[in-house]
Amino acid sequence: MSKNALWRLLALLCALAMVASACGGGSDDAAEDSADTETEAAEEEEAMEDEEADAEASEDEEAMEEEAAAGDGATISYWLWDGNQQPFYEQCAADFTAESGINVEITQFGWADYWDGLTAGFATGDVPDVFTDHLARYPEFIDAGVLVPLNDFIDADGVATDIYFPGLADLWVAPDGSRYGLPKDFDTIALVVNEALLEDAGLTLDDVSNLDWNPTDGGSLEAVAAQLSVDANGVRGNEDGFDASDVVQYGFMSQTNYADAFGQTGFSMLTGANGWDFLDTNPWGSVYNYGDAEFTDTIGWMASMVEKGFSPDSETLAGTGSDTIFDAGQAAIMPDGSWKIGTWSTSENVDAAFVPTPVGPSGNRASMFNGLADSITTASENPEAAWEWVKYMASPACQETIGAGGVVFPAIESGAKLAEEAFLANGVDVSAFTVHVDEGTTFTFPIAGQAGEVSNIMGDAIDTVIRGEGDASTISAANDEVNELLAG
Amino acid sequence: MSTAAGVGNVGSATGRRIAWAVLAVVMLFSILPVFWALRTSLSTNSGIILEPSNPLPVEATFFNYERVLGDPPIEEVQAAGGTGGEFSVLLAVRNSMIVATGITIGQVFFCAMAAYAFARLRFKGRELVFTLFLSALVVPPIFTMIPNFLFMRDLQLSLGFTSLDLSWLPGSDKAGWINTFPGLMAPFFLMTPFAIFFLRQFFLGISREVEEAAIIDGAGHMRRFFRIILPMSVPALVTLAIITYVNSWNEFLWPFVAGRDESVRVVTVALNDFKAQTPGTTRPDWTGLMTATFVAAVPILLLFGVLGRRVVDAIQFSGIK
Amino acid sequence: MTTAAAPVAGSDASAEKPKRGKSSVDNDGWKVAIWFLLPSLIGFLVFYLIPTIRAIRLSFQKVSILNPAAATSVGWENYTDIMEDADFWNSAWVTLQYVVINIGIQTVLALGLAVLMSRLTESLIVRATILLPWILPNILVGLLFLFIFDPTVGIVAQVFKFFGFDPIAFLASTTWVIPALALINVWKFTGYTALLFFAGLQTIPKMLYEAGSIDGATEWQMFRSITIPLLRPILALVMVVSLIGSFQVFDVVAAAGGGVQGSPGDPLGKSRVLYLYIYENAFLFQNKFGYAAALATILMIFLTVITLLQLRLLRADQSDLA
Repeated sequence: MSKNALWRLLALLCALAMVASACGGGSDDAAEDSADTETEAAEEEEAMEDEEADAEASEDEEAMEEEAAAGDGATISYWLWDGNQQPFYEQCAADFTAESGINVEITQFGWADYWDGLTAGFATGDVPDVFTDHLARYPEFIDAGVLVPLNDFIDADGVATDIYFPGLADLWVAPDGSRYGLPKDFDTIALVVNEALLEDAGLTLDDVSNLDWNPTDGGSLEAVAAQLSVDANGVRGNEDGFDASDVVQYGFMSQTNYADAFGQTGFSMLTGANGWDFLDTNPWGSVYNYGDAEFTDTIGWMASMVEKGFSPDSETLAGTGSDTIFDAGQAAIMPDGSWKIGTWSTSENVDAAFVPTPVGPSGNRASMFNGLADSITTASENPEAAWEWVKYMASPACQETIGAGGVVFPAIESGAKLAEEAFLANGVDVSAFTVHVDEGTTFTFPIAGQAGEVSNIMGDAIDTVIRGEGDASTISAANDEVNELLAG
Repeated sequence: MSTAAGVGNVGSATGRRIAWAVLAVVMLFSILPVFWALRTSLSTNSGIILEPSNPLPVEATFFNYERVLGDPPIEEVQAAGGTGGEFSVLLAVRNSMIVATGITIGQVFFCAMAAYAFARLRFKGRELVFTLFLSALVVPPIFTMIPNFLFMRDLQLSLGFTSLDLSWLPGSDKAGWINTFPGLMAPFFLMTPFAIFFLRQFFLGISREVEEAAIIDGAGHMRRFFRIILPMSVPALVTLAIITYVNSWNEFLWPFVAGRDESVRVVTVALNDFKAQTPGTTRPDWTGLMTATFVAAVPILLLFGVLGRRVVDAIQFSGIK
Repeated sequence: MTTAAAPVAGSDASAEKPKRGKSSVDNDGWKVAIWFLLPSLIGFLVFYLIPTIRAIRLSFQKVSILNPAAATSVGWENYTDIMEDADFWNSAWVTLQYVVINIGIQTVLALGLAVLMSRLTESLIVRATILLPWILPNILVGLLFLFIFDPTVGIVAQVFKFFGFDPIAFLASTTWVIPALALINVWKFTGYTALLFFAGLQTIPKMLYEAGSIDGATEWQMFRSITIPLLRPILALVMVVSLIGSFQVFDVVAAAGGGVQGSPGDPLGKSRVLYLYIYENAFLFQNKFGYAAALATILMIFLTVITLLQLRLLRADQSDLA
């Protein structure tokens, strides 16, 4: 009897596995037929196109069949993290394949897992040929020698590097002159405001469109933030009897968790407007300036906002997540990046508008100017084909495809225009983001090594201050620590 | 089971009632989180914000299942608070089943062989080898992960057997056994210290006399192992199989580094990938996540439903050993 | 299967017998043994021994995970650095808190539950229900509780509000994150542990209790002088396994406690358990892979010591029932 029991169990396990595999395969019929020649990713690509446009899909299939006949169509693997952009890059890839005969296999991972996977992949050589690179990470990659310099390719093909928005391309040049990426897009910061909450407070969009700010009294930003903060009894932050310990609606909220060294959608538009720079020189600085009064004063002001109840505290922010709070209509103003335009303009819960970030003591507003690029890994077995794909993504053709999608701003002006139009066509005014580019009030993402550890150390120090458990000296001590780290 | 110690030994009826109430609360707490995932999976993302404490689905919908299981248009998915990056749960479930089944079969069989040697054979250094095997219990998996990873990658290259060429498997175009099912199973397939220890203990308890007859008949070790020891050890083997299956199903760290390709990605890794889909956003796609979570739990819940008694017995059995 | 529990606890005592016994037929040596041991030997060498040696060697090097081939030897530097590393001591302290809360609550609850069950019922449904959390993957459990503890949409916050308390962001609070993570683990393992104890209770002869009650002993006295001593071997075994597991907690923290980039939590490093810190050094920090290996070596040595101590306790108590 017991012998039978074992076999029954094993049989059941096997049967379950077989049934499941049948289910998995059956969910997309095309899968099994073409399994030997193509990977799942390529199939999904096809499936997606089928839905988007039948005519185009059949063209692609023809193109693929031709290559299969030729039998020499190289395949390039490509990773990205933004699922919102994936459909448009699939489109780019299809066009590219039709043009060059090179297949592209696109894989998308969530942000955190993207970098974990890439890191583990570099350790073992199991990385894609091409991947979307980030300024915070690429110094480390260069240091380890895992990226292919593009200079020779660029020279050989005579590719122009000056067709992008000024400054974007240079971010990807190492101190020795090697270039490790061609820009694909850019992003800037604006304030997202909840219009319904403005109305409740008797404010209009005009009242928040030209804000100013300083770390001493917070300027008009703090004034409207106070007016937009509401406690459980309905008392506003600028009225008597406001209970800072029981706030149901925050006037101003950092989008980034406080424990973040770069504060792209947290403190950076304020510290920038306060005339502060992250590094002694950027890119490739060797000394961080977190100890400066311009910086610590700004963080001190943010801590005071928390204390006054105009901004959520660390626990609320990290615990719930700024986007959830904003979406629930519990915060009125929040800085956010241009890559989130789509998220907020299509939100069902909030009526969001975008206004420029405040003007600071420096006399200007400021926005971090971050740009992504595509890099080629040294593990790539076919760097030539990889380069063709990188070149295509950096070309007006692909960037216009991406731009027309209205998800991000491409790095080429013609693409960015299309993006702006696509947003406008959807009734979204994005001038609050582009104003930084038009007026030249951008500063670039800090580029230096050890970003991971810097982020841990500084993030904790900043959060300590916000939690009221530390002061400026906490931050300068952490600054010494990160500079020691940079010095090696 | 034999008559339990002290059953029916509780004094007053009130005492019994209180005890039952406590037990009921514990049972409720065991189920509630799973129920909550189900309820959330049937709600909309805006609904759970509006009525966070409603025990029933808010704005009830099956769309979350559609987008997690199928492939609806991207616009609708985004409107529901998701991204374009949903994964195929069914594929991940299938992968988990393949991996867990493979590991279970290999581990139980090979560890039974080893346990037989440790329990029944006499050879020099037996205790030493056994102790060495056991000491592997304290090796943190994170410790051996990277070297294992490197080894898996080089396997194809360094051994060079044509029989080990796994390029016909999905996703294995260049990195050896990385992103292959054998690669995911390998570190657990041949032995784990616990499995050997557990089975050895059981084999030691089997009376020698049963074997004597076979020995007189001139049966060799292989025959004794297959014809006597294995059939007599079915309860232990079933117990081990269940524990191994559940552990393999739940394994995260190794498949997290060695099996990221979608064609072999198991549910634990897929779920974790699902968590942080969009960059910079701190708003999780709760309903999508809970749907995926629930779907991922269904197969193992089914298995549990079918084998409930066996699993419970197995755990108790492993405790006594 | 219903009679599965045939071999009784303490069979280890009888286990020693065959080894010393005469059975001359078994003088087979390696010639035979190797065929039985070959697969597991390969597994042991390839997946445990060699990687361990490789990892120990890495702990004496400065090496980037991105390029393991380019390693430089640094002697004992990684180890001396660890001793002065405040983050390491913090993570050791955090882990210890987690272990104490987790093991403490879990053991007491499970023991109570087991006693309760052994008195009330052998119902399969009861036992299966409390075992349910155990079969769910850690990652899944982590995500489940990430949602349940969410201060805005989570149900725990709603319960707090209902009773007039302010909701607490458990997983983002420096005070609560470790207790919350420990409780998640308690939820997952209490039923499982209770079943192990329950099985142990079944092996205690009923007549001992009968004799006890004839002597007029109270329930509590019998629990202390009969149940606990006779349950001690299994208690010790469960503790060893739970301790080793708890010191290596990772999945739940990664899924719910944050820390691994981007997820909410890891408030001021208060949920940065040892495993997470090793992970961060290995994967997220630049050129710290050797450092991570050194941390892991220290953890391994520590676990070995704990296990040996516990096993000694276990062995000492083994004869209680025999």
